[in-house]
Amino acid sequence: MKKLRVLLVDDEIMIREGFKRLFDWEAHDCQVVGEAADGMEALAQIDSLRPDLVIMDINIPIMNGLKVIQLSRMKHPGTAFVIVSGYDDFSYCREALRLQITDYILKPVNYEEFGTCIDNLKISLFEQRVSAEPEQQEERTITGITRYLQEHLAEEVSLSVLADQFHLNPQYISQLFKSEIGVGFLTYLTNIRMEKAKKLLLSTSLSIADVAEQSGYADYRVFTKVFKKSEGSTPSQFRRDFLETREGEQDNRI
Amino acid sequence: MLRMEIALFLVMAFVAYMYFTAEKQSNPLHRIFSVLLVVMLSHLALDASTLYAVCHLDKVPLWLTEVLHRFFIGTMVLLTYLYYQYIAVLIQMETGKKRKLDIPAKVFLVLTEMGSFLLPLYYQVTPEGNYSYGPCAYMCYAGATFYLSLCTWLLISNWERMDPKEKSAIGVALFVELTVSVLQAFHPTWLISGMGLTLMTLSFYLTLENPDILRAELTEQKMSMLYLKSQVNPHFLYNTLDTIRIQAQLNGDKKVADLLMRLVDFFRLSVKVDRPMVALDDELELLEVYMELMCYRYPELQCEYDIDPELGGVQVPNFILQPVVENSLLHGLKNKGYRGSVRISAQKTAHNQMEIQVCDTGSGFAAGKKAAIDQMLENYAKQPAKLEGNSIGILNVQKRIKLLCGREYGLSYTENETGGVTAHLLLPGKEDIQ
Repeated sequence: MKKLRVLLVDDEIMIREGFKRLFDWEAHDCQVVGEAADGMEALAQIDSLRPDLVIMDINIPIMNGLKVIQLSRMKHPGTAFVIVSGYDDFSYCREALRLQITDYILKPVNYEEFGTCIDNLKISLFEQRVSAEPEQQEERTITGITRYLQEHLAEEVSLSVLADQFHLNPQYISQLFKSEIGVGFLTYLTNIRMEKAKKLLLSTSLSIADVAEQSGYADYRVFTKVFKKSEGSTPSQFRRDFLETREGEQDNRI
Repeated sequence: MLRMEIALFLVMAFVAYMYFTAEKQSNPLHRIFSVLLVVMLSHLALDASTLYAVCHLDKVPLWLTEVLHRFFIGTMVLLTYLYYQYIAVLIQMETGKKRKLDIPAKVFLVLTEMGSFLLPLYYQVTPEGNYSYGPCAYMCYAGATFYLSLCTWLLISNWERMDPKEKSAIGVALFVELTVSVLQAFHPTWLISGMGLTLMTLSFYLTLENPDILRAELTEQKMSMLYLKSQVNPHFLYNTLDTIRIQAQLNGDKKVADLLMRLVDFFRLSVKVDRPMVALDDELELLEVYMELMCYRYPELQCEYDIDPELGGVQVPNFILQPVVENSLLHGLKNKGYRGSVRISAQKTAHNQMEIQVCDTGSGFAAGKKAAIDQMLENYAKQPAKLEGNSIGILNVQKRIKLLCGREYGLSYTENETGGVTAHLLLPGKEDIQ
């Protein structure tokens, strides 16, 4: 896996410096290739640097971040965007989601937790690659493993289970995750379990304990903890916030 | 007729007593009304004595009668002028319109006041009673008519923009006053002018200057001061704090950065809540951030949680836990140098209810304090709306629980056997949002 090229866009120099120096880009196979302080500069940089990922503040001078995303989508559809925003721009959130950004994080940014965001991005980039691949006679090993995980995430799965299943060395599988997706096996597993949990929380009325179980967590206390760390809110908060936003939208329509 | 003047005087004296002893906001309207009350009282006193003097021209020396009479006329014009001023200021305060007629009104006042002391005054003796006539008396009528017409004009031209209760009360009083003045002009011996003036003053008192309104104004003023104080844009505050946090971390100070992060979290969470009821999880999140910051400031302070995870989604009034915990810290653990612990637990109880306990190892209640607190929480509704003080926090919590959840719920305190106190918050255990 090649390094991800990252462009930082924020009008506050301190925030850019923070991102640049306080997050361990190297450890996450990333490289900051440029910075921009306003919308025009951001567009120009995206054109010339061709970053894989743009970390984008919404409230920036000359042209706001959402406009930049819209315009650059036309020329560079493959660029991923992570929006970083303060609570005062929270109303933009919905519009941002419509532009199919990769992630939305709120200030204050916790640099230790920002890694999760990069991991999520890598996983979604991997999934994009897989779905874009032409159907082959022989499935690639990593594709097979991830499909197996998707189908068995409610069960106890570990590297050794996978090793038995695919007749491979556990170390090799671990290496495969790193090289093909760019994240560790556990990170990947947690990610798909959380995705599953979110889907269940929003589309069913199962109790939190049931959601936990179906997402592969026998103890829902552990599940709640992991969920809170990854999503920033407890499962019940997550479900409630979603329901409230939807109610809000309906109100707006009337 | 003297009896009516005395009765009116007594009524106005009582009103004046009520008014001057009440605590009130200081504004132009109240200042005018204070002057108006004083002038009203002296006018009624002069009315009574003039009435006596004029009816006993043979007994009272003529110079004294004249002096009293001229003062009586002077205060009468002054009173109508004050009515005009009062209504003009009221309209200015309510609609923001400038007072355009102030200068002519003041010039006219000076002229009439001079006239009331300088113009000739004569007495007519009749079997029904004696009365005055001559330029001075006519000028008095002219003055009163002038100001009352001004009042009427002000009232009519601002009719749309005034409070319905105020305008109807003032309108009726003004109508009666005008009728009384007209009758008085045609029947000089009826001597009823004092009645109309008293009614006018009373209408102001009852609609705009009564004790309830004065108290409400004061409370509102204090509240709005508090409100203005909190109007620093919170986003500015936490965006700036965030910049400082990043700088601290860039400088390698992880500890300061973490603390600032928690402080930013605290502001963000308190700004976020805009509903009266929130989930227990949200309420606990705010409390955790608060306690983390407090525990950092006082390293020997400990905090434990024992929350039934099933209760995370239960709806509770917002900002009820932090004030109770803060109370435990400030009145219990502070006295022990912040050495000790606070334990917060939430459990289901019977009848689909929930109890949250805040148990501290602080100094406990001082002698007699427990009874005072119990008394205050028991009679929460009768407590005056205090805006500061020690118990405002928990009183507020009690009031909001009773209001939002029902009278069967609420806050109470017990003493621990091992020292310290426990706050019990009894709340509904329902998850759904009504």
